[in-house]
Amino acid sequence: MSIVEFKKVTKRFGQVTILDEVDLSIEPGEKVVLIGPSGSGKSTLLRCINALEEINGGDLIVDGISVKGSGRMVRLIRQEAGMVFQQFNLFPQMTALQNVAFGPHRVRGETRQEARSQALAMLAKVGLADRVNNYPSELSGGQQQRVAIARALAVKPKLMLFDEPTSALDPELRHEVLRVMQALAEEGMTMIVVTHEMAFARKVGTRLIFMEGGKIAVDGPPRELLENPQNPRLKEFLQHVA
Amino acid sequence: MTFDWSVIWQALPELLKGARLTVLIALAGLAGGLVIGFAAGLARAYGNVVLNAIAFVYVEIIRGTPIIVQVMFIYFALPILADIRINPLAAAIIAIIVNAGAYIAEIVRGTFLSIHKGLREAGLALGLPFWKVLLYIIGPLAFRRMIPALGNQFIVSLKDTSLFIVIGVGELTRQGQEIMAANFRAVEIWSAVAMLYLIMTGVLTLILRVTEKRMRIL
Ligand SMILES: Nc1ncnc2c1ncn2[C@@H]1O[C@H](COP(=O)(O)OP(=O)(O)O)[C@@H](O)[C@H]1O
Ligand SMILES: [Mg+2]
Repeated sequence: MSIVEFKKVTKRFGQVTILDEVDLSIEPGEKVVLIGPSGSGKSTLLRCINALEEINGGDLIVDGISVKGSGRMVRLIRQEAGMVFQQFNLFPQMTALQNVAFGPHRVRGETRQEARSQALAMLAKVGLADRVNNYPSELSGGQQQRVAIARALAVKPKLMLFDEPTSALDPELRHEVLRVMQALAEEGMTMIVVTHEMAFARKVGTRLIFMEGGKIAVDGPPRELLENPQNPRLKEFLQHVA
Repeated sequence: MTFDWSVIWQALPELLKGARLTVLIALAGLAGGLVIGFAAGLARAYGNVVLNAIAFVYVEIIRGTPIIVQVMFIYFALPILADIRINPLAAAIIAIIVNAGAYIAEIVRGTFLSIHKGLREAGLALGLPFWKVLLYIIGPLAFRRMIPALGNQFIVSLKDTSLFIVIGVGELTRQGQEIMAANFRAVEIWSAVAMLYLIMTGVLTLILRVTEKRMRIL
């Protein structure tokens, strides 16, 4: 069974149609890389999956639950679909450890002690064992984004959504975040990643989707598409990002 | 004229009694005002159309009328309209609650909405219900930003209690007025009254400073 299934999903902001009857099925274990020009609806597509945006037409099933369900159902979807934002969005009043322990404690209902030890393990996994007591403002961008990944993972999602996770970072800080994401992919996590990192798409992605004008214009294996793009606009897009 | 300190010493017990009442009205009024203010402010920021409209009308009515008119209304008009008896002290406390509540509502609304929208999304994306996002994430951040404005409102409300002289509550200003009427020592009495207000607002300022220092303002 697909873990994410778009069925003719339409999303509008006012009069403007951002997603136009999009059909898309994603299977467990896939690493989908989503690319496309700015404003083509990549973030919107991602945010429909965890219901941060409400869809206007069609249906969208995540892990067997419709995003159009009750508030409780939507929260279940969000617990199964972790999200990492371009701007990190760490809770500034909490240390790295508190940020990561927050989900297990407040969402999954673990005891403080249990949540704390899970958070420590998760921070160690993203290479931040020595920064657990620092506040976000005391961390570099790359470190903050790794805390954000740990925070999402701590809720034990089945699926991870990344919205341009390295776009706000200086080039020399990007690789540390990409490395963590690659390790996660190697563990078998299902991932949907909006990114301009074509090297990552080629190395880690199992599927590349090019969006344009509210539709999925190209969908296929990354290596092939990147080396020999048939779609002229994908070709042009790749020349711009490369 | 000579400044006669003995006048102040003689008046001090009565003045302190008044000051105690001033503090009581301000504390009770502000405690209630915080409750009303949070409710109305959150209704303005996040409530549905109906809640939002109710809170909006409340805030506009209170901000648009003088507090002295409000307390007169509560003390003289409300008993006629609602057929209830209300004592001056209760009227004074209610007036502060209602008045401070409206201003605090605006402070609450403004600070909650000033918190970066990404944090709200990050909380929701973890699978939390919205009220928990407010309680655990937005609220604590908004509260830190609120402290200076709240402090300001506390001081204004504390001083506003002096207006309740008009309904005969024996707070500090009223006590000063009565002593002065008996001994005609305006300079000494009003100096002493002013000093007592300064001490009260000074203590308040100090408490706020310490609170602000102990919290990381973010
Ligand atoms: N909350 C919103 N209200 C109105 N328009 C929006 C909103 N969010 C996004 N849009 C518009 O939707 C379009 C797609 O946005 P987005 O999904 O962020 O694109 P991408 O991530 O591909 O750059 C853009 O034209 C953007 O201006
Ligand atoms: Mg985007």
